[in-house]
Amino acid sequence: MNGWRTLFPNAWYISVREFRSRARSRSFVIGTVILAVIAFAATQVPVLIDFAIGTTQTRLEVVVRASGLPSDSVAAVTGTLNGQDATSDHQPFVLSWLPGGDLAAAQQALEQGKFDALLIVDRDQATQNLGFTLRTDLAADGPVVRAINSAATWLALDDGLARAGTSIGAVQATPFAVLPVNSSSGAANSISQEVSTNLLSTGLIVLIFMAIITYGMWVAMSVAEEKGSRVMELMLNATTPLQMLAGKVIGNGAAGLTQYGIILAAVVGGILAQGPIHQIVLGSGSGVPFGGFDPVVLVAFAVLFVLGFLFYSLLYAALGSLVSRQEDVQSATSPLMMLIFVGYFMSIFGLQAIDETWVKVASFVPFFSPYLMLARVSAGHVALWEFALAVVFLLAGIAVALVAAARIYSAGVLLYGQRIGLRQVLKSARVSR
Amino acid sequence: MSLIIDAVSKRFGEVQALDDVSLEIKPGEVFGFLGANGAGKTTAMRIVLDILRPDSGTIAWNGQLNTEVSRDTWGYLPEERGLYAKMKVLEQLVFFAKLHGVKPRKAEQETRDWLERFRIPEYADKRAEELSKGNQQKIQFIAAILHDPQVLLMDEPFTGLDPVNAALLKEAFQEMKDRGKTLVFSTHQMDTVEELCESIAILDRGRVVVGGTVRDVRRSTGRQVVRLAVEGDSQIDWLGTLDGVRVTRRGQDYTEAEVAPGQDPATVLQAALARGCRIRQFEIADPSLEQIFIEHVGQIDTSERTLAPRGAYA
Repeated sequence: MNGWRTLFPNAWYISVREFRSRARSRSFVIGTVILAVIAFAATQVPVLIDFAIGTTQTRLEVVVRASGLPSDSVAAVTGTLNGQDATSDHQPFVLSWLPGGDLAAAQQALEQGKFDALLIVDRDQATQNLGFTLRTDLAADGPVVRAINSAATWLALDDGLARAGTSIGAVQATPFAVLPVNSSSGAANSISQEVSTNLLSTGLIVLIFMAIITYGMWVAMSVAEEKGSRVMELMLNATTPLQMLAGKVIGNGAAGLTQYGIILAAVVGGILAQGPIHQIVLGSGSGVPFGGFDPVVLVAFAVLFVLGFLFYSLLYAALGSLVSRQEDVQSATSPLMMLIFVGYFMSIFGLQAIDETWVKVASFVPFFSPYLMLARVSAGHVALWEFALAVVFLLAGIAVALVAAARIYSAGVLLYGQRIGLRQVLKSARVSR
Repeated sequence: MSLIIDAVSKRFGEVQALDDVSLEIKPGEVFGFLGANGAGKTTAMRIVLDILRPDSGTIAWNGQLNTEVSRDTWGYLPEERGLYAKMKVLEQLVFFAKLHGVKPRKAEQETRDWLERFRIPEYADKRAEELSKGNQQKIQFIAAILHDPQVLLMDEPFTGLDPVNAALLKEAFQEMKDRGKTLVFSTHQMDTVEELCESIAILDRGRVVVGGTVRDVRRSTGRQVVRLAVEGDSQIDWLGTLDGVRVTRRGQDYTEAEVAPGQDPATVLQAALARGCRIRQFEIADPSLEQIFIEHVGQIDTSERTLAPRGAYA
């Protein structure tokens, strides 16, 4: 292994070549564009949802035949129907309030389709309570009717309280306090925090998983391609297997990172563009706020992403060297694929059982640590030494994979034939350089 | 100062690819490896290049083991041609040269010179897959020599070349020889060997059956060849009846016969004169390499007769 001393500059030249040929390939360009477009489109989903909701407004006319309603009743009904959240731009209901109005004219307007629903407010002469009638073709048990119903209830309550000499404003409880389980102060998690933590760690695990599956396969394909086109012999004379291995892993990894970078740029651009697009489509409003990116998680992600990719792509290179044709790469690498899937599913399930012993143990195993340690870090249930230990194990795994892959690779690349067993490779590995 | 292959053996499973092969190739020499497919030529070259390691035996160049010498010593043109199909010709030749430590600018200049010499300068910016097989082979040759190696090892460099391109490649061979390079190549084409090689080795099933300078090899049997043509008799039937004379070829132009070792070929001339023939041609020569080869190896088998799985260790 005199390759250790002379890894560069050849490994560098090879990685540059790998990067260029990968980045110039049609599949790379098309794939990147499609993924970037999808990513950008995904960031616009909230705008789309707002747009979809924003266009469905229920036009409600209210004919008040009852007299003596409290002065704040219009505001109470409107507030109940459209929400009291001042920051919300969306108004699900448009109200047309007709005190002492002409019922026949209102009925005609409803029939002409100028309104979706007609609410008639009467007062029972015996009980003095308010009575309501709703005319509409909307579903009687649908959300719109339910919303109108609760607004009507609110109005009846307000009216009753006014007759009793008080008001809703006077008796309404102040907003109740929400406290965390183990603390008497501070705020509990909001829904968006809860969702973003879980979503973020799942997303990051998927990112690592996808990178290893996709870009690891690139490495294997590239090895098999060189072997299939017999460039390999020329390369073997000019370089060492270790230089080739390093060049391929670095070059394809860099191409993969480039693709990820472009997709990430599309995502960030999409999020930044949410506001302006929202403005154009809906005429108002700003983007959806996003946050919850814990820098510790991101650092752990970066470390595990790079190391996980290195580890797996070395194994991919070794397996790729066993086949002579690109068509056989898929079957040759399927055991590795299984292993990657196992780790992936373990981490997805592990997110729900983050403190189980098996999750903790597996998070130190190099095959699984890229996912599971990340899951544990993002759940916040991990000590620094645990993370460091997993990284050390992973580094050791990379060293072992490097030596093993270089051995298998240097033997495998010269063996041409339909079926090459691992035993045959290991046998030749002993005599190959 | 030479390339010494010393008692090299290599076995692949059941197949003895090389069996105690010893050769000395002098610097500046053009050396030919002859042998059927599967005879061990490619394995021998790969072992010299240290792509494969022998089971036993050593290789030395100028007294230094091949595991120690710089990889830039060797220029290799593999039998299974290999180029990056999607890469442009100039780009990949510069890439290969850079791997051997050649400065990119120098590599580019030399590549353009060679493309010019091979009459394909317009292919510099074409992708390799767009080139014909013959032209790809020329690219492959350039890839082997750009880093100015001391020894050129070429596996079947003339296979698949048309006569024009073969002539261009032979010129290039001559140029490399003039630059003092050592050229080793394998081939099936005996006329090419006779034209270019100073020394040869004939391999059969992993063993060197005969080797040395071309002249020595041709004289190794002790027999001589006469070529005879006489007026008015294209058959020359009586030739085969002479003692120690065996007809090897009958043709309208001349008849060829082998004369047994120790016998004076002039006896054929005397016999012809004694019969009153009017002699149009009489020539004494050494047996052709083709005859020697057939004698040692049997048929010149240009089909695949690999002992090992196809392509694996040929």
